[in-house]
Amino acid sequence: MNFITYLIGLPLIGGLLCLLIPKAKEVIAVAISVITFAVSILAFVFPDQASQYFIFDKMSGFVALFISLFGFLIVLYSIKFMQKLSAERKISLTQYYCYVLWTLAASLGAVLSNNLILLLVFWGFLGLTLYLLMQIGASDFQESSAAAKKTFIIIGGSDCFMILGIAIIWFLTGTFQMDKISINFASYNSPSLPVIAFVCLTIAVFAKAGAMPFHTWIPDAASTAPIPITAYLPASLDKLLGIYLLARICLNLFNVSAYQHINVFLMFIGAITIIAAVFMALIQHDLKKMIAYMNISGAGYMVLGIGTNNPVGIAGGLFYMLSTTLWTSCLFLCAGSVECKTGTTDLDKLGGLAKYMPLTFLSSLIAALSISGVPPFNGFFSKWMIYQGLISSLPTSNFQLLTLLFIAAAMFGSALTLASFMKLLHGVFLGQASKHQNIKTSERISEVSWTMWLPQIFLAVLCAIFGVFAIQIPLKYFIFPSLSTSHFPFPAVFSGVWQPGLATLLIIVGIAFGFIFYIISGLKYRISDTYIGGETLPSEVRVTGADFYQTIKDIGFFKTMYSLAEQKMFDIYDWGRKIVSSVGSVLSELHTGNFETYLSWCLIGAGILLLVLVH
Amino acid sequence: MRTLFEFIIFPGFLFTAIAGMVFSWIDRKVTARVQWRQGPPFFQPVYDFIKLLGKETIVPSSANSVIFLLSPLLAIASTTLASVILWKAIINPQSLFVGDLLVVIYLLAVTPLAVILGASASGNPIASLAASREMKLYSAYELPFIFSILVSVIKLNTIKLGEIILSQQSSGIIFNSFSGVIAFVVFLLTIQAKLGLVPFDMAEAETEIAGGVFIEYSGVPLAIHKLNRIMLLFIIPVFASVLFFGGKFWSIIVVLVLIILIRNTNPRVRIDQAIKFFWRTCLIFSIFAVVLATIGY
Repeated sequence: MNFITYLIGLPLIGGLLCLLIPKAKEVIAVAISVITFAVSILAFVFPDQASQYFIFDKMSGFVALFISLFGFLIVLYSIKFMQKLSAERKISLTQYYCYVLWTLAASLGAVLSNNLILLLVFWGFLGLTLYLLMQIGASDFQESSAAAKKTFIIIGGSDCFMILGIAIIWFLTGTFQMDKISINFASYNSPSLPVIAFVCLTIAVFAKAGAMPFHTWIPDAASTAPIPITAYLPASLDKLLGIYLLARICLNLFNVSAYQHINVFLMFIGAITIIAAVFMALIQHDLKKMIAYMNISGAGYMVLGIGTNNPVGIAGGLFYMLSTTLWTSCLFLCAGSVECKTGTTDLDKLGGLAKYMPLTFLSSLIAALSISGVPPFNGFFSKWMIYQGLISSLPTSNFQLLTLLFIAAAMFGSALTLASFMKLLHGVFLGQASKHQNIKTSERISEVSWTMWLPQIFLAVLCAIFGVFAIQIPLKYFIFPSLSTSHFPFPAVFSGVWQPGLATLLIIVGIAFGFIFYIISGLKYRISDTYIGGETLPSEVRVTGADFYQTIKDIGFFKTMYSLAEQKMFDIYDWGRKIVSSVGSVLSELHTGNFETYLSWCLIGAGILLLVLVH
Repeated sequence: MRTLFEFIIFPGFLFTAIAGMVFSWIDRKVTARVQWRQGPPFFQPVYDFIKLLGKETIVPSSANSVIFLLSPLLAIASTTLASVILWKAIINPQSLFVGDLLVVIYLLAVTPLAVILGASASGNPIASLAASREMKLYSAYELPFIFSILVSVIKLNTIKLGEIILSQQSSGIIFNSFSGVIAFVVFLLTIQAKLGLVPFDMAEAETEIAGGVFIEYSGVPLAIHKLNRIMLLFIIPVFASVLFFGGKFWSIIVVLVLIILIRNTNPRVRIDQAIKFFWRTCLIFSIFAVVLATIGY
């Protein structure tokens, strides 16, 4: 027996056990996820040999490690959260834990499989568990079943493309074993078939990771599904899996370096995703939807990084994948805690929570600073690597101007990310306390229980550590080994300079000096009312964070774009639905229910058939 | 230990603060002369700073006091670090200290971030409005700012500050080209907003929202915020000089004079006008500069 069997088998059996012994479901779920996490650490330290069906190299190893880490954290968080939620709504917790564990098994299976068919099976199974999980924790059954259906159709539809891509790969190479496949575009006279296969597989990746134009299920899922599920699947597991597969496609299955168009295509998708998603995030009024859009824009950075096709860019893309899962799930969990305590995630009704929930505030502050790329957190380091990848691809690129636009898009995207998170922090944790929320809950608002804040703080601390000690920990143990071949001469790849350890030390020294300054000057301050120019504010008037960026929304060009977005003009699912229903409405004209009409159709058909046969 | 000395004394905090005060005095003196006034004595910035230190610190009751008091420190620490990085590169271009161009760009973004956090933490509605303006202004100027910096990156093909300076010394400064001139003009306008000076001072706007982001600040925290602004008045011209003139000393003064002239000859614009200005006019010019730079002009 080897580790891989345990990794996939344990959660699978655990899920069944939950169904069999419903009373001990929480204990089973926690125990199984802890053991799986422990096994994945062991497996990472002592990797198994690759077999025909499963592979355990450095890349799949570290992705598996983080998948099981998220499994554990989410189960821990779910205990209290789901208890409260199931008291409010009718939720079968037994099914919930069972599906969560099965999702864990399927994700580990998908990451570790070395066979395309096996990968496809696990991949499809994940789509199913996502659908089921979204269904059970519904706030509003109608709405959430629509969202679940949308998700299922987008994910399932992209799986069809994946099947097609895999079929073409089999046709070209005659094998399903991933480590034996290596398709070089340069060796084909007209590489249309490999390009189709490549695009088909990337569509599956985009749908999973949430890159445009297949991103639209994420905001819907985020606003209806229970928050642990959003933090679990779209925010972390799907990102890990999608970008893991993209890295495998670009690095192992295909050799794309001879074909620059492919790279530009990937980078273009990445850049568009970053900018469009972040602009949508700016104007959201709902905490969960806002984080969901930031999550989508994160997928853009990863695709952009991997699309650069040079060592530092790809490593940056993978590092960004790792980082983004940490901070988005942290933010989703914080949003969950806020929802748990106040009963809402509407930015209009929140405000001033930092005093009551200091730990949640601290963890979302760190996560928000990381995602906005503020040095020295991990977001800055990974973005810095992606920018370098783009800049160092400039001299040899045939598409210099486009690459420059991509760099600007990525950097501007990070500025807008900062803007959206300032809105979030202002709207939820800082700013004026909401009267509405205070009157009702001033006694009740307090920090959440430790099973909920521990995962948040843990993820936030990881964000900080992975930023300050980026070279010493994540790059050394996870990213560089998984890419280390002759093609990637790590670690001598950086073209810039950034010493996060020293910088952090100096900033801390600076702040410490400032504190000494405060102490010398007495450190006593007087508490007084806010100064608003001598006016008295009516109690219901306050500046919420919700309309922070109304000015931007009112500018001509953006006004049109936002109103188009509100009409779902950029939603590929909505387009598909419209096309299907318009085709259907034409065809339904034929179904009059009139016997004579059907009979005449039969006769016409028989006549055509006869003519064909006679010829 | 040596690094600590560099961080605190030279070319770090103390040096930047003193140089910034000199720059601030030049700014006030020139402004006064433009307005037919006498202007303050040379040590006026120091007097102002010391006066604020002696004042009482007031924290509003609605505030989150930790973030409120931490924000000026965060801003000034990052500004100091950016200053050390820039000056180490100017003094010895071979040295690879802490960060490169991208790091400096992001460190300079910490100041608006800290100011906004502090303003939001005060719980004052006027500060919230001002924070929203500051944030919109930041996202507005950041786009042309990035594009104009990219011109230097394309031409010199490096993001190490030392190499940016060295290659401009050996093969001519960026400003000596069409794209360089356009990029510099755009850069000059964006740093006007970065420094929060007229015509882009709508986030502070004393006459309108009573100091805006700083409305609740007083005493020592306010002194630190003001000192940070003064340091930026020195750092950002230095940054411009590194990018477009290879770090030559005279260019720092030229940039400062241009900033003062713009500040004294323009009225304050509204925030939506500023956004349109940066996302339309400035953006077009800066993209034009980038296109020129890619084809070698």
